[in-house]
Amino acid sequence: MLPLPFRPRLPRASVRLALLAGLALAVAPAALPPQLQQAAAQLGGAQAQQKVLRISAIPDQNPEKLNRLYGLVADELSRQLKVPVKYVPVTDYTAAVSAFRTGDLDLVWFGGLTGVQARLQKPGARLLAQRDIDAAFTSVFIANTSVGLKPVRGVKGLAELKGKRFTFGSESSTSGRLMPQYYLSQAGVKLKDFAGGAPGFSGSHDATIALVQSGAYQAGAVNEQVWKSSLRSGKVDRRKVAVIWRTPGYPDYHWIAQPNLDQRFGKGFTGKVQKAFVSLRRSNPQQAQILELFGAQQFVPAPVGQYSAIEKVGREIGKIR
Amino acid sequence: MTAASAWSWRALRLAPPLLPLLPALVWLPVLLLLPGLSHGGGWDLIGQFAGAAFKPSLDPLVLSSAFTGLGVTVGIALLGWALSLVLGLVGGVLSSRTVWRTATGSALPAECIRRLLAVPRAVHELLWGLLLLQLLGLQPVVAVLAITIPYAALVARVVSDLLDALPTAGLEGLRLAGAPAGPALLTALGPALQPGVISYGGYRLECALRSATLLGVFGLGGLGTDLRLTLQSLQFRELWSGLWMLLLVMLVLEALLRVLRQRWGMPARFGLSRRSVGRGGREVVLGALLLLPLLVLVAVALGVNPLQLGQLQPLPPWTADWPAVAALPWPALIGSTLALTLLAAALAVGSAPLLLLLMAPWPWGRALMQAIWALGRLWPPPLTALLLLFVLQPGVLTAALALGFHNLGILGRLLLEAEEAAPLQAEEALAAAGAGPRLALLYGRFSALARSYLAYGAYRADVILRETVVVGLVGAAGLGSLLLEALSSFAIDQLIALVAVYVLLTLMGEDLSDRLRRRLLAA
Repeated sequence: MLPLPFRPRLPRASVRLALLAGLALAVAPAALPPQLQQAAAQLGGAQAQQKVLRISAIPDQNPEKLNRLYGLVADELSRQLKVPVKYVPVTDYTAAVSAFRTGDLDLVWFGGLTGVQARLQKPGARLLAQRDIDAAFTSVFIANTSVGLKPVRGVKGLAELKGKRFTFGSESSTSGRLMPQYYLSQAGVKLKDFAGGAPGFSGSHDATIALVQSGAYQAGAVNEQVWKSSLRSGKVDRRKVAVIWRTPGYPDYHWIAQPNLDQRFGKGFTGKVQKAFVSLRRSNPQQAQILELFGAQQFVPAPVGQYSAIEKVGREIGKIR
Repeated sequence: MTAASAWSWRALRLAPPLLPLLPALVWLPVLLLLPGLSHGGGWDLIGQFAGAAFKPSLDPLVLSSAFTGLGVTVGIALLGWALSLVLGLVGGVLSSRTVWRTATGSALPAECIRRLLAVPRAVHELLWGLLLLQLLGLQPVVAVLAITIPYAALVARVVSDLLDALPTAGLEGLRLAGAPAGPALLTALGPALQPGVISYGGYRLECALRSATLLGVFGLGGLGTDLRLTLQSLQFRELWSGLWMLLLVMLVLEALLRVLRQRWGMPARFGLSRRSVGRGGREVVLGALLLLPLLVLVAVALGVNPLQLGQLQPLPPWTADWPAVAALPWPALIGSTLALTLLAAALAVGSAPLLLLLMAPWPWGRALMQAIWALGRLWPPPLTALLLLFVLQPGVLTAALALGFHNLGILGRLLLEAEEAAPLQAEEALAAAGAGPRLALLYGRFSALARSYLAYGAYRADVILRETVVVGLVGAAGLGSLLLEALSSFAIDQLIALVAVYVLLTLMGEDLSDRLRRRLLAA
């Protein structure tokens, strides 16, 4: 290390500047809080929380579609309920559950498993509505055609997936993980039976289709609704990937609301939200667009008892503890 | 070891310039294994991805969403960085042996604080983010804190190392002359510390931008969110709109920091010679003053509210099943995580000098390589991993390639910077004597850089160990994938165990890499 060079011209100006800097640094924190408090009031502070209904959804489809769909839903709800409605996108299934528990989301479109997780973590949360197709939702097992897997007749036939590279969708997906794993276990296939000692988790249904079609994974499980819409949009190359089995029906997606909506938005508000969904009709052009994007004819009230089957499977598999 | 083998070992000792190339040997087995791993089914997807780079989506909706996301990412990076720097400086002074010895006569408190700070450092910012999400809810402040906490602990470690490495003659002189501890420390060590701190601080800002992007990938807001969702749904043109914007910001930031570093006469990240007190102290102060209002503005715009810190939420209800946790296949999990770390580190550390040498004669090759490195730095590893899966089978090697590529981007740029700053004479002399451009570069400039580069590589290896968390997607059966699974099951008991294992591994890794670094730098 060199000796410190002697700098004759250092003092005055530098000292003054340094003093100025020190002063500014000392004053800054004092100036900070009021501004931030103001900002907080504007942006989701206590007052704003009373006024805006924050809706969200688990990210099971491509973001463009989610943004379009939930933008429409927010507009429609806002029109019917006469309160401002804001769509808050969430990228992760787990984050959606956590944000519901911490009260950052008021109304969320959950999958079967995430919905049960959310209601267990937030006692009193209200199950509002499901689509007509959600009482008996299905998944399909798909396989890369080069692997030579045969179509499966009964559930036991899934045993042919042992030793194959296999991927689920998101870890907490009902149609892309929970129910497929349940049927695999009925066929005696454990997670460690797959090639590499574990299945993959692609993160989404779209990614599962792409990865099985490319051959990264030899087989996978996806939501049948997403599979069909990929077929229609031409994203799927039928020569490369094919369905080998469709699961029996199980209850899946549903809207869940915070327990305190009535306190915050007025008496009977939760009921009004439920009615808003159930009253959506194909005959109304705006509403028809929403139902089309949801892939449903209409919404119906969701019976709580229906999801106890999902809870049971969730506990068996260890996703609910 | 017998005398004979010891002798032959010594005779085989490599010339220093060849040392950094040694890790590149890992490419031999990797290249042998790759054909077996390749399934080639997704080359058309890779082609679409590459093609989309030239025609990103210009849809105003996509652009405005990416632009907003970018703003959030940069804002989070800036706030997290600034906070971590301030806290890190305080922590650094508090964990400096010299400071405590001067103030109280004993270095013991410094050691204790040092050990304590190792814990926040050992937990990856992603884990901090997901943990804080549970406690604070979905607030912007979560992402800021997720960066601040581990970064502050890292800065503290570097600052205290810098402090303790400073010569103490001046300090002792002042103390003997009767100066009180505080002023003596400030006068003797303050100015000497400044260049190192500023240089390192600038580098941390680059890191913070990468971390903020990654946090977005896991759902904590910002552009990373768009990147992940567009990649997962294979919307490559929309993906590139965001990617190009992020690349631009990163390159501008890097260029700016580089100019400032040169202007203020700061050492490069692993510079050869330590320089004396930085020039332009006034400009540094001015810069800091300009930064303050900017930070306040960013905080207001992002809606970061310190008051939210007071509203902690309880953890979700959980039951502990410790026997089940203990029954997890720990040796296999840890083994595959360590294998992933070593492989990725060797790939990154070895490839940078190798590529630099290979490209030495061709300027366009170098430019292309730099562009690819920039992409590697920019592109979060989980997304690289997903892209790789289109053509490779999942597994440790695929995960290692993803992590290695990201870190190659970082190491490559640092090596390039150091190489440019290294004296040219030796290389020119070799070239004039008729050596080819590669040999001239190798023996001329690399020989001087070799040890400090490897020492930095050792440090990078413990960063990579922490980063294995983020490629859980493809690293079948590692700690990372188990961690993501535990998070989605809200299995807090497993999470606690996993984080504890990560902390232990990181502490051991840090210790090992410290020793390696000291040996390398001492030799």
